[in-house]
Amino acid sequence: MRIPRIVTWTCALAILLMAGAAIVARADAAPSASAAELKSALAVAPTTSALANGDPGGVLTGTVNDVPVADPKAGLGLGDVANQVGQNKIAINFVWTLVTGFLVMFMQAGFAMVEAGLCRVKNANHTYMMNFFVYTCGLFAYWIIGFAIQMGGAAGNGNLGGLQSLNTEHLITLFGTHWGIFGECGMFLARSTYDVGVMVIFLFEMVFMDTALTIVTGACAERWKFLAFAVSSVLMGAFTYPLYGNWAWGGGWLSQLGVNLGLGKGYCDFAGSGVVHAVGGLTALAVAMIIGPRIGKFNRDGSANAIIGHDISAVLIGCFILAFGWFGFNPGSTLGASAAGNLRIGSIAVNTMLAGCTATFGALLYMWVVKGKPDASMSGNGILAGLVAITAPSGFVSTMGAAIIGFIAGVLVCFSCAFVENYLKIDDPVGAVSVHGTCGLWGVLSIGFFADGTSNYGGSWNGVTGSVTGLFYGDASQLVAQIVGCATLVGFVFTFSFVLNWILDIILGQRVSIATEVAGLDLPEMGQLGYPEFVFKPEPDFMLAAEKLAVA
Amino acid sequence: MAATKSQGSQFTLFMVGLTAVCAGIAFFDSGVAKVALIAGAVVLAISLWGLFKIKPLEGKTGGTPQPAVMKLIGVVVVAGGWLFVLFGLHMTSSVGGRMVTSIIGFVVSLIGICYVLAPAVNKNAIWKS
Repeated sequence: MRIPRIVTWTCALAILLMAGAAIVARADAAPSASAAELKSALAVAPTTSALANGDPGGVLTGTVNDVPVADPKAGLGLGDVANQVGQNKIAINFVWTLVTGFLVMFMQAGFAMVEAGLCRVKNANHTYMMNFFVYTCGLFAYWIIGFAIQMGGAAGNGNLGGLQSLNTEHLITLFGTHWGIFGECGMFLARSTYDVGVMVIFLFEMVFMDTALTIVTGACAERWKFLAFAVSSVLMGAFTYPLYGNWAWGGGWLSQLGVNLGLGKGYCDFAGSGVVHAVGGLTALAVAMIIGPRIGKFNRDGSANAIIGHDISAVLIGCFILAFGWFGFNPGSTLGASAAGNLRIGSIAVNTMLAGCTATFGALLYMWVVKGKPDASMSGNGILAGLVAITAPSGFVSTMGAAIIGFIAGVLVCFSCAFVENYLKIDDPVGAVSVHGTCGLWGVLSIGFFADGTSNYGGSWNGVTGSVTGLFYGDASQLVAQIVGCATLVGFVFTFSFVLNWILDIILGQRVSIATEVAGLDLPEMGQLGYPEFVFKPEPDFMLAAEKLAVA
Repeated sequence: MAATKSQGSQFTLFMVGLTAVCAGIAFFDSGVAKVALIAGAVVLAISLWGLFKIKPLEGKTGGTPQPAVMKLIGVVVVAGGWLFVLFGLHMTSSVGGRMVTSIIGFVVSLIGICYVLAPAVNKNAIWKS
């Protein structure tokens, strides 16, 4: 009976194999806890028919059904959920950075109104047009080369997805350490920099750059040739601003003072008191020095004549537009509202408001007590001075520090305006040098005093572990780094701007003719009056005599 | 003279030349970009020459010639203060020492602006005549 024995053993073997296969299959099919949770979530998610009835309370919209699935056959998995979380973080940060950037762009309108309001009516069109066209000049120059110089080596920002294509910084080696000088990729936003994250950072940095450029138009108003302004602005957007911007924000040598020399967290400038405002204010000083004062501004004995602006309402409304836009300037500089300490955006916004408030008090009370009147134009400059000064420290200080910084700026701007006009004999129709230059430098220095060490943007700043801390909270080396930044602003940025604009003056001449200046720049330069139906009041006698006395 | 067609033309040339130069640098690995770089530089030079030629047409301006040597000295003092700051960072490694050298250099730069350059640019100011 061999055959039945063989059959028996064969059947037993088959049964064993089938049982083993079943065990393996059951193991493969055993669901994990997370997969089970996902499945149960999918089971209770609203169906299409339920959604077709409408969702007035918003309780059915935005569920597990909205998570994209990488493999439809496998269904929703933990990886899909994790990917969506990452996307959400980046999307939140993109939206935050873009919307705050839009606010900063709107500040151009504020600057235009402030500057034109402080000028005479015969120059209104020209002044508005400088503020209008500077946006175009700066944006184009920044696109073709400026952004590359500033941010070409700025890879590593986790808020915006890493920006890994901005990965080339030109370095020099001095005393055994590497120092970043300028970036090398990103021109025309082409090739690898045609990237969603790079587009966001480009827009944000560009509107900051334009703010710096527009500052110069105020100091040189009422006598700057439109052609010279355009050329100067293009070159500033292409080279002057991006160079310092790279050193401070693009991974350049100033930001690496902490890593290389142990100076605090390196040069810190949260939103740009130095990078934007001091660069703009010091360039304004350089150009104003080259261009000379307005005819009739100073008398033969050196005393200054007040040349009154034509529209104080435009000035004050412009200041409010700027203050509104500053909510984009400072809080937006976190470059995100999700993760890495970005929830501090509320503190930054409050610091910004407070500094503007106390600065207004500082300027207005100073003018009221010392000069006898609560002067409107100086009050407007006061709020701007406070906002400029808090721009750098806004992410690192408490509200108490912000209030003190703002108040000091408000008083400082009054002293500075008087010093620039009466001692330096530099004509600055809108006080741009004092508001942005002087108070910008104060803002940079104030970090070295008031940074309280409580901020935490990912556990480090400029590659140095820890929080930015100033002298009053125990770190004197941070103050040294800030002084180096200020010295670079004055010693390099001012010098570079002065030499560049001096050369431009030799080549094309910065100033309009006397006849044009006395008549007003609107008709000769722009071909149209700012207010064609207004009747101009006669010029004072000293203005009419100026042309005969000219020696140029 | 005020704004004229020739000013507009020269500014247009300037922008075209600058754009071509930047395009040449950005895409330097291609042959066309190298041509654009050279052409752009030529156009830029032509525009600057054109701007220089039309400058006298502006006529008398309120800006008066100032002593160039004094301005140069001012520029050197301002820049020199900054260089002293950089040098001072490597002269000593102590925080106090670096603080002192940084402040000295910063003040030297400010002195250069306030007490050398400012008087230089006002030496022959129009309001003094």
